[in-house]
Amino acid sequence: MNMFKPSVIVLALSTALLGCQQDTGPQKDKVTIEKNPYPSTYQPHSTTSTLITNATVLTGTGERINDADVYIVDGKISQVGKDLSVNADTTIDAAGKWVTPGIIDNHSHLGAYPNPGVESHQDGNEMIHPNTAQVWVEHSVWPQDPGFNRAREGGITSLQILPGSANLFGGRAVTLKNVPSETMQGMKFPEAPYGLKMACGENPKRVYGGQGVAPKTRMGNMAGYREAWIEATEYKRAWEQYDAEYAAGLNPDAPHRDIKLDTLRGVLDGEILIHNHCYKAEEMAMMIDLSKEFSYHAGTFHHGIEAYKIADLLGENGNCAALWPDWWGFKMEAYDMSLENVAIVDAAKNSCAVIHSDSDTTIQRLNHEAAKVMYSANEVGFDIKEEHAIKWITYNAAKSLGIEDLTGSIATGKQADVVIWDQSPFSVYSKAEKVFIDGAKVYDRHDSKYQAVSDFMLGQR
Amino acid sequence: MNKFKLSILTGALLSSSAVFAQVTAITNATVHTQTQQGVLENATVLIENGKITALNPKSFNADVTVDAQGKVLTPGLIGTMNHLGLVEVGAVSRSVDAYDKSGLEFDPSTAFNPRSSLIPYARKGGVTQNLSIPSLPWGESGVFMGLGFVADLSGEFGSVTDRKTALIVDLGAASGDGSRAAAVQAFAKKLSEQKKKLTAKKDKKADKDPSSEEKLLIDVLNGKLPVVASASRASQLLELIKLKEEFGLNLVIYGADDAVLVKEELAKAKVPVIVSAVSNLPTGFDALHAHLGNAGTLEKAGVKVILNVAGDGSHNVYQMRFNAGIAVANGMSHDGALKAMTVNVADTFGIEGGKIAKGERADVVLWTADPFEFNTRVDTIWINGEQVTTESRHDKLTDRYTKDSSMPRGYTK
Repeated sequence: MNMFKPSVIVLALSTALLGCQQDTGPQKDKVTIEKNPYPSTYQPHSTTSTLITNATVLTGTGERINDADVYIVDGKISQVGKDLSVNADTTIDAAGKWVTPGIIDNHSHLGAYPNPGVESHQDGNEMIHPNTAQVWVEHSVWPQDPGFNRAREGGITSLQILPGSANLFGGRAVTLKNVPSETMQGMKFPEAPYGLKMACGENPKRVYGGQGVAPKTRMGNMAGYREAWIEATEYKRAWEQYDAEYAAGLNPDAPHRDIKLDTLRGVLDGEILIHNHCYKAEEMAMMIDLSKEFSYHAGTFHHGIEAYKIADLLGENGNCAALWPDWWGFKMEAYDMSLENVAIVDAAKNSCAVIHSDSDTTIQRLNHEAAKVMYSANEVGFDIKEEHAIKWITYNAAKSLGIEDLTGSIATGKQADVVIWDQSPFSVYSKAEKVFIDGAKVYDRHDSKYQAVSDFMLGQR
Repeated sequence: MNKFKLSILTGALLSSSAVFAQVTAITNATVHTQTQQGVLENATVLIENGKITALNPKSFNADVTVDAQGKVLTPGLIGTMNHLGLVEVGAVSRSVDAYDKSGLEFDPSTAFNPRSSLIPYARKGGVTQNLSIPSLPWGESGVFMGLGFVADLSGEFGSVTDRKTALIVDLGAASGDGSRAAAVQAFAKKLSEQKKKLTAKKDKKADKDPSSEEKLLIDVLNGKLPVVASASRASQLLELIKLKEEFGLNLVIYGADDAVLVKEELAKAKVPVIVSAVSNLPTGFDALHAHLGNAGTLEKAGVKVILNVAGDGSHNVYQMRFNAGIAVANGMSHDGALKAMTVNVADTFGIEGGKIAKGERADVVLWTADPFEFNTRVDTIWINGEQVTTESRHDKLTDRYTKDSSMPRGYTK
């Protein structure tokens, strides 16, 4: 048998192809990547007008207006101010009550780690490889998680669902409108950008190092991120080259499609926002440098127990920090808790302090979480008012999710995501009375017609 | 089994700190006595030698007088069902002493670390005593966890005030492949075997002393040693009430998410329940009735309710007062919620404290306003008659990173 040397032939052929680039033939169809293959089907359904009168209004942008009215038309905030003279289909007397923007939690696992927390519901952490940027948590969301209803009863109108923190790259996050729906798409916030979950510190190195697989150390974590970004940079370049050659009338072969690298490339292109589980000051500082090394923005740091140690750096670099008021001590990287963490981060120039839950329980009372921080900080010399503190769970959370132009504040033209509270939401006794999403009433504490029940809970009581 | 009442010993140890013999008077306080005296306005409380020596005395001589200016004085709150003093950092195994496989006889009290940083932090929440409990190691399941104990949160050596306070058992949903029925049977079998031995002994002279496990079981059978059983499904709770009646148990239920379905039975059988006020999710098929209103519903039905902090209740026990506020917002009485963190705990476990009355442990907290509100803080706290600080290392960290300094922060102390 003759031994062919196929590699030589292939090389010769491909040189010939490159030489002529098929520039004489018709172009093949352009290969494009569908960036929104699971599109939102959520439709705001309010076409009526609502006037809320005489409330203490916290706008979410730092303002407090006493005895104010909020006028909602066609799902949008139309006017805010005192003594509005408008006609509305529905008028709600909110004297003695408080009105805030809908509460936003940028760190939830509802639907992915739902209740009941049975074995078959553990869909939040693809713990098979330190880089699972290819998974999208929206594919794990069970819309019947009763936790969505409980959260709505606490005023949550939008929330980001994140994959877990076992991996350096945990996968894509999704932002939802907190409306009852049979499908994830029916909740999906139509205009919200995707997020990418990254994780620093103990979790990835414990999960993989324990299996004798990298990363085993914090330096291994950093190497893992850098290798992934190098690969993503090359992938981005390959697609850009393909696009450019095609645009030049050539007939190039499209690069091999890789959904893991699609997500990382989305970050490099500025289309996907980083949400980085990261506790420690020195690690957050390195993640900022990492983002500069590969030309993307480091996004929002989540948990950030030590964010107060680098508050100025976070402000200078435009990072949001999504924090708990007081969780601590469950692991070493959560040991240096300060009850004033949020307040110290918030006080820095250009800051973006957010209070998040990461909990199916505290998501129901983010207003209480903000209250804890405000009062605790004021005890040690801060001077934080309710109209400012509400930003941590409304406007700043929206900013972290890239939706601050759409929701997160009570201002003309914004989506009418609004909560009416029975009293100051900074009291332990406060409760959300009515919740609106895009102008539609989605919850009413005093009217069972507006109290959604999950399929799972039907007939169980 | 002897219940070790160690407060006298603790007092002796504390007396080395010179000021012990002094008399403290707290005047003009709004005193929530948690006794039949109810709430007393403009009241005076005298403290001496770690005890409350008088309430509204006609006259008094005090070394230290604290004018409460009408502020609220309550008994110190008592945490339950956590690992306070047995854990520093959850995921640092060598800082954790709560987990062991030795079962029924496991008494973790000698590992209690009064210098743990969790203890001053817990005091920020007005917590002065705590029932710490053991658990099985992560991933293990079984019926017998071991023995809970009580410590005061003075941070002093020798602050364990009661050992072998309760036997902790898990009779709820098995985490592995086991059955609820098997868990109850295993527990019932231990009890009936011990009961048989006792009956046999009455017939003929015992030829040997009971083993340490037998001693514990004897105390369970005579009701001296409370049994805290984790369980949530309502039908399971009824089974446990049967066990209580059959064996004369001093039964306490922990978890109890579906307890509202059998609230009358629990009230009639005088079974206290320990619940988290914020547990309102159907975490499993045993918790379909979890609801923010449950603490109030149980209270109204006449069940003795104890509020605790679920989840990581060791690091977060300071939040207990806020959870009480949430319970009140959802139907519990304010006084009932305070009782659920003070006198109900003391009475259920037969420990000192939880009341402001003559002769009681001087664990009292002066609050700037309503103890459950976020804008209220602990003004002053006394444990065993001594004024103690609420400052913890967390405050040091805050100070370091908020104070201006021309030097690196590492020099700010």
